[in-house]
Amino acid sequence: MTVTFPQKGLPWLLLLPQLLVTAIFFLWPAEQALEQAFYQEDAFGLSREFIGLENFADLFTDPLYYQSMLTTLVFSFSVAIVGMSLALLLAVMADRVVRGKLAYQTLLIWPYAVAPALAGVLWWILFDPSMGPIALWLKTAGVNWNHYLDGNQAMILVVIASTWKQISYNFLFFLAGLQAVPRSLIEAAAIDGASPFKRFWTIVFPLLSPTTFFLLVVNLVYAFFETFGVIDATTKGGPGQSTTTLVYKVFDDGFVGLDLGGSAAQSVVLMAIVGLMTVIQFRFIERKVQYS
Amino acid sequence: MTDVILEKVGKAYPNGYHAIPSVDLSIEEGEFIVLVGPSGCGKSTLLRMVAGLESISTGELRIRGERMNEKEPAERDIAMVFQNYALYPHMSVYDNMAYGLKNRGMAKNLIEEKVSDVAAMLGLTELLQRKPRQLSGGQRQRVAMGRAMVRDPKVFLFDEPLSNLDAKLRVQMRVEIRQLQRKLGTTTLYVTHDQVEAMTLADRLVVLNKGKAEQIGTPMDLYNKPATPFVAAFIGSPSMNLIDANLTEQGIKISGALTLPLSHQHRGGIVWGIRPEHLEVSDEQNADFALRIQAVESLGAETLIHGKIETESGNGEPIVVRLSGPHLPDVNSLMWLTAPVSHWHLFDAKTQQRL
Repeated sequence: MTVTFPQKGLPWLLLLPQLLVTAIFFLWPAEQALEQAFYQEDAFGLSREFIGLENFADLFTDPLYYQSMLTTLVFSFSVAIVGMSLALLLAVMADRVVRGKLAYQTLLIWPYAVAPALAGVLWWILFDPSMGPIALWLKTAGVNWNHYLDGNQAMILVVIASTWKQISYNFLFFLAGLQAVPRSLIEAAAIDGASPFKRFWTIVFPLLSPTTFFLLVVNLVYAFFETFGVIDATTKGGPGQSTTTLVYKVFDDGFVGLDLGGSAAQSVVLMAIVGLMTVIQFRFIERKVQYS
Repeated sequence: MTDVILEKVGKAYPNGYHAIPSVDLSIEEGEFIVLVGPSGCGKSTLLRMVAGLESISTGELRIRGERMNEKEPAERDIAMVFQNYALYPHMSVYDNMAYGLKNRGMAKNLIEEKVSDVAAMLGLTELLQRKPRQLSGGQRQRVAMGRAMVRDPKVFLFDEPLSNLDAKLRVQMRVEIRQLQRKLGTTTLYVTHDQVEAMTLADRLVVLNKGKAEQIGTPMDLYNKPATPFVAAFIGSPSMNLIDANLTEQGIKISGALTLPLSHQHRGGIVWGIRPEHLEVSDEQNADFALRIQAVESLGAETLIHGKIETESGNGEPIVVRLSGPHLPDVNSLMWLTAPVSHWHLFDAKTQQRL
């Protein structure tokens, strides 16, 4: 359906608020970052000097940058895989509940409404080495928990905090996906002699694959770009560089380290990654496997 | 040999609703039984109880003498064809048919042999590598049947398998199903709401109404001697003319205007029935009643005439007459009819049983 407006001006007027928001908060900063990436600026922003691709050259010769990239990959895939597995498990169980179905589903969706920083603080308190209930319990179980000192433990903490928030979202999609699997297929498989476990892996799981793929992309994007709040509230990228993801490094180098040019160059690299991931996402979701 | 026995099988839901109060049925080996009834009569529920997809609340189900109530669907040695076919969309036709055999741990070369045999029988050999979405409705239907046949089960269960096909294909598949079943000799339980399908396929029919078996018998039994007005109306197309009447000394009184002489010991309210094809055109002297014609449906080979019994008050009972060959009487004219006594069906209005 096409609606045609009599005047040319009205459609633009109606689009204006969104266009303004996009321009002021997205396009302008992006352009600034792009520009800044080619300059070296002093810490107070008083003077700057054009240095061409030197920021990028520095970046790609910096072992810390590669270290951060590896950290990001480990972190993102851990978040995506742990988050999706748990969400699928919960969705399968919630799908089987008959009584109080709505209550379960609502409760499982709640964490999604919690702000990232709050989620971070919540887990930070739970795992605090000196007073956190989980940390204390771990100590009695013989695990010496201190994510301020142990990089791996810090990584586990940020993965838990980030995953927890994303499970709700994954859960919703998996639940919808499960409910879209026709009951008669499961029944046919039951008559065909497949055990419940086998039914899940040979019938249900393959039919969920479009959902699974969509969630994998969404979760990776989330872990890559939207976990700043959680990391900042729990570990602040530490100890050392052990939880400094690419996004956190942009902030850390730019606003803590005051290397604005280098930080801008990093954001340009990130922009390229976002672009790439978006293309992949659309490519595959457009061609989403069609079952009829 | 009796193959499948349903003994006082009933279904009650936790909310206290009795979908099926109690059904008794014994099926001989190789018999084709059709469960027929309007939607919501419990026919699918009954079939699913035999399949093990619904629990049996009361009574007992036995297949080859063995109690099945507590057995899983896979342990009952049955195969089912679903209304929407329930083909696994991500598997090829071959894998769809092989799935049940693989699950039972059959050797790979044996599976291949079985699947290709059945595929050849159903004309699916060319399609084995296709996915269900690349098949037409009729082909999917065949794959669904192939998946059932390949396992060589004791009992076939069909849940309205033809209702998603167009009319022409439906007739064709109906004939095919019947031929296959004859050839394989597998005991079959078939659910449908279509009485033509039921009449043409069944060795015996079970007419279900509100979870109760109104009548069990061969299609001709049900046509010639329906046990209740419900069966009378359900079997045969167009449906039997059924009219509330009174049986008195003089005979059957209809609408206070018409009396059909009959000596019968029963007195009081009855349902009088006669099939549209049993009414005969007559003349004014010999007719039992006159019909005021309201509509004429010419189908070529036959003509259906809808009208009302002509009475003084003008609101006589509606009647359908079926005449063979083309007829073109004027709408609103009168048609004189006789209703031969030998074709009457009388039911007690209170008990709804045949008199």
